[in-house]
Amino acid sequence: MKLTSLPKARILVLFVLWLALLGLLAMFAPAFFQPAVLRSILQFSTVLALVSLGQALVVLGGGAGIDLAVGAMVSLVAILSMLAVRAGLPGFLLPPAAILLGGLLGLGNGLLVTRLGLLPLIATLGTLFLYGGLALALTGGGPVPGVPAWLFPFGRGTLGLVPWHFLAFVLPVFVLVALILSQTAWGRWVRAMGFRENAARLAGIPVSRVRLLLYVTSGLLAGMAALVTLAWFGSARPNIGQNLELESLAAVLVGGVSILGGAGGVFGVLAAVLFIVSLKTAMQFSNIATTWQVGAIGLLLILVLLIDRRTVRWNA
Amino acid sequence: MSWKKIRIAGVLCGAALLAAAGSAMAAEKPKVAFVPQIVGIPYFNAMEAGGKKAAADLGVDFVYSGPVDTNPVDQLQIVETLLNQGVQAVAVSVLDASSLAPVVEEAKARGAKLFTSDSDAPDSGRALYVAQATDEDLGHTIIDELASRVGGEGTIGIVSGEATATNLNTWISFMQEEAKAKYPKLKLLEPQFAGGTAERAAQIATDLMTANPDLKGIIAVASTTCPGVAQAIETAGKVGKVIGTGYCSPNTAKPYLKNGAMGFTVLWDPSALGYLTVWAGKQLVDGVTLTALNKVPGLSQPVSYDARTGVLLLGKPAVFTADNVDQFNF
Amino acid sequence: MSTEPIGRELVLGLAILAACLAFALASPFFATPANALIIGRNAIELLLIGLGLTFVLAGGGIDVAVGMVMGLAAIAAAHGLLMGLPAGLALTLAVLAGTLLGCLTGMVVAIGRVPAIVATIGLYGVYRTAIFVWLGGQWLSGLPSGLTDLLSGTLLGLPVALLVVVLAYALAHVLLRRTPFGIHLLAVGHDEDKARLMGVNVVGTRLVAFALGGGLAGLAGAFHVATYRNVEMTIGSNTALDAIAAVILGGTSILGGRASLLGTMLGIILLRVLQNGLVLVGVPSLWQTVVTGLLLLGVLSLEGHLLGLGDRLRNFWRQPA
Repeated sequence: MKLTSLPKARILVLFVLWLALLGLLAMFAPAFFQPAVLRSILQFSTVLALVSLGQALVVLGGGAGIDLAVGAMVSLVAILSMLAVRAGLPGFLLPPAAILLGGLLGLGNGLLVTRLGLLPLIATLGTLFLYGGLALALTGGGPVPGVPAWLFPFGRGTLGLVPWHFLAFVLPVFVLVALILSQTAWGRWVRAMGFRENAARLAGIPVSRVRLLLYVTSGLLAGMAALVTLAWFGSARPNIGQNLELESLAAVLVGGVSILGGAGGVFGVLAAVLFIVSLKTAMQFSNIATTWQVGAIGLLLILVLLIDRRTVRWNA
Repeated sequence: MSWKKIRIAGVLCGAALLAAAGSAMAAEKPKVAFVPQIVGIPYFNAMEAGGKKAAADLGVDFVYSGPVDTNPVDQLQIVETLLNQGVQAVAVSVLDASSLAPVVEEAKARGAKLFTSDSDAPDSGRALYVAQATDEDLGHTIIDELASRVGGEGTIGIVSGEATATNLNTWISFMQEEAKAKYPKLKLLEPQFAGGTAERAAQIATDLMTANPDLKGIIAVASTTCPGVAQAIETAGKVGKVIGTGYCSPNTAKPYLKNGAMGFTVLWDPSALGYLTVWAGKQLVDGVTLTALNKVPGLSQPVSYDARTGVLLLGKPAVFTADNVDQFNF
Repeated sequence: MSTEPIGRELVLGLAILAACLAFALASPFFATPANALIIGRNAIELLLIGLGLTFVLAGGGIDVAVGMVMGLAAIAAAHGLLMGLPAGLALTLAVLAGTLLGCLTGMVVAIGRVPAIVATIGLYGVYRTAIFVWLGGQWLSGLPSGLTDLLSGTLLGLPVALLVVVLAYALAHVLLRRTPFGIHLLAVGHDEDKARLMGVNVVGTRLVAFALGGGLAGLAGAFHVATYRNVEMTIGSNTALDAIAAVILGGTSILGGRASLLGTMLGIILLRVLQNGLVLVGVPSLWQTVVTGLLLLGVLSLEGHLLGLGDRLRNFWRQPA
């Protein structure tokens, strides 16, 4: 009871914050409500949403789960897949190659955690350095151009107001993961092992295998995010995933996932991603100096967690 | 308790938004924006100051906003938001030459002018490029000046900032070109990258001096690396033996030029560049066709424009030394 | 419970020796007194911050905002110097600022009961904005040399910095192993609930650990000002992750309850030796993060295997003939 009320309280807080933000904007900056702004928010949400979903799954699975390498994976996948194209990989194979590479990098994280028994924070801190460093070192820091032009509409085009990559990647994967989490044995396993790992083991859940799969999934999602950046910018940049590890963690926690694992859902995470991007856009739109954005998001994270601690105590 | 906190936060946000909305409503003047590579460094602050002055002189509304990290995604988001705000001309100091491509079409659709200043994206379809000096001039000047001080021979180290910065990498390639063409005895080491911190720049500069005892000079390519490189030379006791230089503003370099850790620095007047940027934005909004030589009120020299490449050139880079540094304040 | 993992320190010591030997053979400029001094000077900030983080981690916490605390403390010291304060006062100001910020972090974690990793990610953003706003886009460069004279000089023929670091580690050792606070801290890190049942003041112990971490980050800020005489906006942005990597490398448990001060020291020295040596043998600096990552993963996973092997061997010998 107590454990389920925790994320719910946080989602309530998030809901109130949404209303407050929209209300303030309606009153003071009505020009914000134009189709182009909505399009822009969705456009900038895709990458964060994809890696946050992976982050959320890893955190949900418990065992001190955390994936600090999400941003580094996005950077390295972008670089490696473009280097492959330059080395002669046919252009039409770029999308599956990018996603697959992401899965491989995620597999690396998963093996370090499940086979070598490294704590997730240590393993992914190591691969944050390793993957991120490789992305820079392999290119000398420069971008790798040459993304096939037929990919650009996917990165820059929209259907109505909704960017293609949001439609094709974000919506399906969030729905799919939500279904898996709520309807399948796998989903119940993830929550069970995040909630109480020993009990889950005793109940016969293949904890290590499920966990390995969670890290692989996080890698696959990072690969998709990398593909989106390629189609969007037209070149691979070695630092494109910069700061995504902290931003995705903030989104996951504000979205109601418990850092201890087991509790939380993926649509809260999507709502949090959209809120964070909207907040940044709104501050930008109101000409508040960008230097206040990092502080505002940091404060948001702390406040949301402090507030739901209090509500939980009231309920208990 | 918790609601109170939210309400207080709400009121604070509201006040800020109100202030912003108020200023936006009051103005019917054309809006020109400049997006730097990063906010919070003296160089771009000086450009902002110049832009503000131009805005006051020319009757323009000036917006200055940039990312807190040198991150092309954040920069792009800012450009897009500015376009959505209805800014008629947006100047960008691009972090990466292709990062502008996604918004060029959008700007055209909105009838807004997207152009570059300080760092260019030549093939992006930008309206024009406001250049502080040509990249060739910048790369060549620093090598020519350094070569004349070390007698045309010796080993020279290069410490740059972010490895991903297009403009810095271009300058480095022109340095290498000039050294190869004119000074066969001048040996440029591979560039080392310090990221954004002076601390790493100092460490790398120190290690370069240790690894190359015959080092004659170190070039600090990014303005963020200037203090670190100079401090490393001073701390190592190599003042007079190793000449520090780079693209450093007189204010940053002054103490080091005076104590000899830096022999000279090369730069332009960033506030004049900011001024010219806003002026160019105004011309674009007004639909004025630029001529080969343009008289810009507020700038002492006429400014040349190359219609073929779309480059509006501020002038030749200036060289600052211990003797003339006191005449400048930027 | 509080035994130090001696094996790790031995591994690190040997790794440092091996690295030094390799670099000495590869570069004539590595094994010189001057270069040793340079490595030492470049390690000071990380040594102090790593020491503070060892306490924080020992108590089951973590602090990713510690680099920003160093930055704010450095700005405080720099402003002190610019206002003409004597170096001693500027130093005090930095340590005080660091301690206060550490207390604030500790309060959010210990009293607000927000998990340390979450709280410090949030505070990272808040402190970072504070640095932006306080500096207001102006670098503080070419600062007065007061702190430099105080901290970069020599005392009795030895570098002051070396004395400070040795003294700090010695005091920390006494604090961790010989005082109730140290025992309580390790107990809290090991098992918070049990510690509470034993009558340990969990909140207070946590708070002190974070305050200590902040104070040492403040001291590091003073050294930053002394060494570089310059504070820029990006100060400390990579510090926390480097320091955490080094502390983990040194054998302190990220789950709390186990700390190795010697390990922290050796881990940081190994990192700095590698960074210095690689530049000296001509490897581009971009490869340094790759090396850090490989080192962290390599040492920790290898150790797991070696320990497993050791256990298996021991069990083998224990089997009755």
